[in-house]
Amino acid sequence: MSILNIKDIHLSIEEKPILKGVSLNVNLGEVHAIMGPNGSGKSTLSYILSGKEGYDLSSGEINFDNKDLLELSANERSNQGLFLAFQYPVELPGVSSMNFLREAVNIRRKVLGKKELNHLEFVKEARRLASSMFIKDEMLKRSVNVGFSGGEKKRFEILQMMLLEPKLAILDETDSGLDVDALKIVSNGVNNYKGKDNAVIVITHYQRLLDYIVPDYVHILADGVIKKSGGPELAKIIEKNGYAGIVDAA
Amino acid sequence: MQRKYDDFSEVIKKHVNENYLEDDYRKFFLKKFSDWPSPTNETWRLSRLGKLARKKFIPYVSSSKKIKNSSITNNAYYSLVFINGIFSKVSSDILPEEIEISFLSAKDLITNLNEINNKSVLTHPTLNITGSCFQDFIKLKIKRNCQIDKPLELLQTGNCPNNSIHPLILIEVEENSNVKILEKFETNSALNAPLQILKLQKNSKLEFIKFHNDDIETTNLSLLISFLKEDANCNIFNLINGGAFTRSETHSYLKGENSSMNLNCVYLSTGFQHHDFTSSIYHDYPNCNSSQKVRGVLNKNSTGVFQGKIRVEKKAQKTNAQQMSKALILSDKALSNSKPELEIYADDVICSHGATVGELDEDQLFYFLSRGIDKQKARLMLIEAFLSEIIEESVDKIFMNEVVTETEIAFKKILEN
Repeated sequence: MSILNIKDIHLSIEEKPILKGVSLNVNLGEVHAIMGPNGSGKSTLSYILSGKEGYDLSSGEINFDNKDLLELSANERSNQGLFLAFQYPVELPGVSSMNFLREAVNIRRKVLGKKELNHLEFVKEARRLASSMFIKDEMLKRSVNVGFSGGEKKRFEILQMMLLEPKLAILDETDSGLDVDALKIVSNGVNNYKGKDNAVIVITHYQRLLDYIVPDYVHILADGVIKKSGGPELAKIIEKNGYAGIVDAA
Repeated sequence: MQRKYDDFSEVIKKHVNENYLEDDYRKFFLKKFSDWPSPTNETWRLSRLGKLARKKFIPYVSSSKKIKNSSITNNAYYSLVFINGIFSKVSSDILPEEIEISFLSAKDLITNLNEINNKSVLTHPTLNITGSCFQDFIKLKIKRNCQIDKPLELLQTGNCPNNSIHPLILIEVEENSNVKILEKFETNSALNAPLQILKLQKNSKLEFIKFHNDDIETTNLSLLISFLKEDANCNIFNLINGGAFTRSETHSYLKGENSSMNLNCVYLSTGFQHHDFTSSIYHDYPNCNSSQKVRGVLNKNSTGVFQGKIRVEKKAQKTNAQQMSKALILSDKALSNSKPELEIYADDVICSHGATVGELDEDQLFYFLSRGIDKQKARLMLIEAFLSEIIEESVDKIFMNEVVTETEIAFKKILEN
């Protein structure tokens, strides 16, 4: 069953075309990797999907879980089960991580028809999942992302994904800035989460992450279009030959 | 050019002659008030009094000392109630024997201010109109070597929209004593001109919270003058959210080694409100610390001002003086001004200052949205975060709940349409 269907989307920023007709279908239970050189529009795609202001399409349609995604505001998209793990998670000084997470989780639970968690119940659940991501209690007491290392920030993103139980998770360059150990922790988190009732889009520059999170499909985004799609073997070819061959061939 | 308004110096002259003819000492202050400070006066350039000058009002005078206050005082405090600037004994709690209350005169006011030679204090309108027009001048003395078990509450209330009111209080904390005070300005008057003097003797400590929450039509021109002796420690936190125009001005004289003054402020403004926090700290002795930290949140057409002065005398070596002002602007019509003034004559000091003015960060807002939290809640949480840091740092835990609640009410109000 399709969870995300992108139909021929175009987007320009300051009159410069960034996406020039991208189409993509993602079904529940699938993992898609979107690869591409710098400046190919990978992060732009994640911002369009998550509803960041200033990323309005000039044409095209996006269907998410049988709804018109573009009709939903950014927070409604999250409420409906779309999750973006940020490439650069934002620091929120003075906003306690626990409060932030609880606020977000209870809104999502409401939409899912689940009972809101009280403080104690929430703390228990957050700690359980946090420990699986090797996130210490002490970190949850700090302000959101403040004083977190690069690896801690990425692990905290995956913790949020686990807590919010999205139908579609988009991981934007989640591997950037991670050492091998952290990469394994993050990948384990994603692998434990993915299942037949959800889907994952992994946006990445390198093949490295795909050794740990094995995709069903790989798409090469370059010059604002998907130049090539294929199975996991496509990522291996990129690893070996770089993007040059594929980008030139089109 | 013909003036558009009454000459307030004539109004107060008449008032003093009618009510206090015998008191020559009031004339000392009366003579010094000729008019409201003009915008050409540097300390009043950013906070102009034209609107106040065009208002018509006369100083409040009460013949009855038995008016009772209707608002309920809090059992957690020793409450002292002032109605239209006048002490209401019947509404107030009985104080413990460690605190002595007495009434002073204009002559005492002169005596208590004789060390001051700053022009900005001596020409301040509040000093001179309240010095000449006050009805009660209360002195609270915390006796030496005393720790007061409950905090004091000074409740400044009243309703006289066509009058000016002139609360006048001297608080003296004697050697080795410790007191905590919460003051609330909730008056409805044309002008609230409170004058307060704090005297902290050797090794004394004062925690002082001030809520400036007068009626939306009221002008509040607070003037606070404090003197700290060696090892004295004073923490003042101002929350300014009320009034059409509120200026809380403080002059702090560090008159003994190792004394410390922390003077922090949160102002929350909306509509056409004007909020001003003006503070001068005079480091006259070595090894003293001071901080002036301000956070403002401004919506609609409101304006905010922070003027912070640090003056370090030549002999005040090893001074540590910090100053920081941050303002958050929620509307493109709101305006925040910040004016640091550092006068440093000593060479071995640490002094810092900084000011920022900005909007809510779009990336931070988007992070909230991306987690399903709506824009309104995200704004609330971000403003709360912006304010919580300074509140946690400045407010004694005994007052924390009250300050947090009051601040929340105030900032939810400024977010209303």
